[in-house]
Amino acid sequence: MIVAKRKPFKEIKGLVSGSKKILVLGCGTCVAVCLAGGEKEVALLASQLKMALALEDWDLEIDELTIERQCDREFIEEINQKVNVDEYDLILSTACGAGVQLVSDVFDHKPVVAALNTTFIGVAEGPGVWTERCRSCSDCVLAETGGICPVTICPKGLVNGPCGGTRNGKCEVDPEKDCAWTLIYNRLKKLGRLDRMKEIVPPKKWSAQQHPATVIHEAYKRRYE
Amino acid sequence: MATSFEEALTSGKFLATTSVDPPKGADLEGLGQLLQKLKGVVHGLGVSDNHQGIMCMSPWAVCKLALEEGVEPIMHMTCRDRNRLALQSDLLAAASLGIKNFLCVSGDHVRFGDHINAKPVHDIDSVHLLTAAKGLVEGKDMADNALEAAPTLFLGAVANPEADPLEPQLMKVDKKIRAGASFLITHPVFSMEKLKKFMEQLKKSPVKVLVGIRLLDPEEIATYRNGGYPGLFVPEKVLEEIQGAGIGKCTEMAAAAVQEIKGANLCDGVHVVAPGHEERIPEILKAGGV
Repeated sequence: MIVAKRKPFKEIKGLVSGSKKILVLGCGTCVAVCLAGGEKEVALLASQLKMALALEDWDLEIDELTIERQCDREFIEEINQKVNVDEYDLILSTACGAGVQLVSDVFDHKPVVAALNTTFIGVAEGPGVWTERCRSCSDCVLAETGGICPVTICPKGLVNGPCGGTRNGKCEVDPEKDCAWTLIYNRLKKLGRLDRMKEIVPPKKWSAQQHPATVIHEAYKRRYE
Repeated sequence: MATSFEEALTSGKFLATTSVDPPKGADLEGLGQLLQKLKGVVHGLGVSDNHQGIMCMSPWAVCKLALEEGVEPIMHMTCRDRNRLALQSDLLAAASLGIKNFLCVSGDHVRFGDHINAKPVHDIDSVHLLTAAKGLVEGKDMADNALEAAPTLFLGAVANPEADPLEPQLMKVDKKIRAGASFLITHPVFSMEKLKKFMEQLKKSPVKVLVGIRLLDPEEIATYRNGGYPGLFVPEKVLEEIQGAGIGKCTEMAAAAVQEIKGANLCDGVHVVAPGHEERIPEILKAGGV
């Protein structure tokens, strides 16, 4: 899933500066799971803004709404059935960067600003902890690396083995973190597939990762081409 | 030392090399003076490439000066700051200036340097860079296009005999050799036991190995201890030994390490580095018997 973090409150306050009425728009999927931008976080942010601004005699009216997904037009269209967007000076979105952009496309006559910094594609390690696992490079090497991604887990994205900084199996960049290539070595050894690590992996085909990327499902190609 | 670095390496003689960092500025006068002191003392002079991610002058300018001063340069090329186009074009440019020896490295992460918000490139890694450089020598670029004129390059790579665990490091070193590395320069070594284990794995390989030795600076104990220099693992026992000592004692320790490594007859030479105290390199080598 996509993992995001809320921007510093001071920055968010600056983003809504000059507004009289805003909509804090939450997203009920990835950012809700990572406790950054779901219904509860929207309520918390709205309350924080109300309290902080009251102390400054700043009269700001804040409405709250959380939809299922901001990265899907089908759900964004529901917004107009629940609130009148034209009443707001600004929409403060707590979605990931993708969601913020689609809401901005749909309501292109209103400023839509991001309350979160979108951070990575990752997994939940435990309550309140998420780690990055995928750089969405469009050229997956996981089959050769024991299911551990060196492009993501190694800070240098090295695909042919470790740098010279591994110490006690930890990464030179952050000694709190495991060296990706120690993890890969141990996993491949356990799987009896260490021979995979002996092969020189060719340079990545970054051309597979065209920005901005588009994926059209095979079944829909005729419709869009 | 009239013979080239490549010829010296194949001669069977025990060699000495060192590395210097280019200046953080546009003036090469200080380095010119240092080169005079190193001339005739070392068989090759490594010139770092934004060492540790610290922005400095590009190494080719220092390498060109070294050539003019009669010291054979070994230009470091890091994959951290350039994509495959820039790396290949810089290899060709440096070769056109007469620079022949290249140390192909992935590069320390930018977090250790002075531009921590820079985007690390790492389009390709050191194994790919060696492959690409070998391809250039054979007249082809990475996209298989023919070159108008192929360069002459002598390629090397780095290795850390003290990496822990060692096995993945050895597998990477093997790839570097297969990709085209004719010589290895190791990270500074403090454990003879680990060095022996490392060299044992390379005994069937034709690759030449220059073992790293670092002149420690007592003023930098805290940085050594907290991992401020990537790949430099100074044992606590050594740190305690240099605590409160002067640079003179550290120089003696570096010379003793040179002597011990030479005496062990394990490798093809030493690569002595003395950041901030490069003028002591001739003294270290002389006292070390090289």
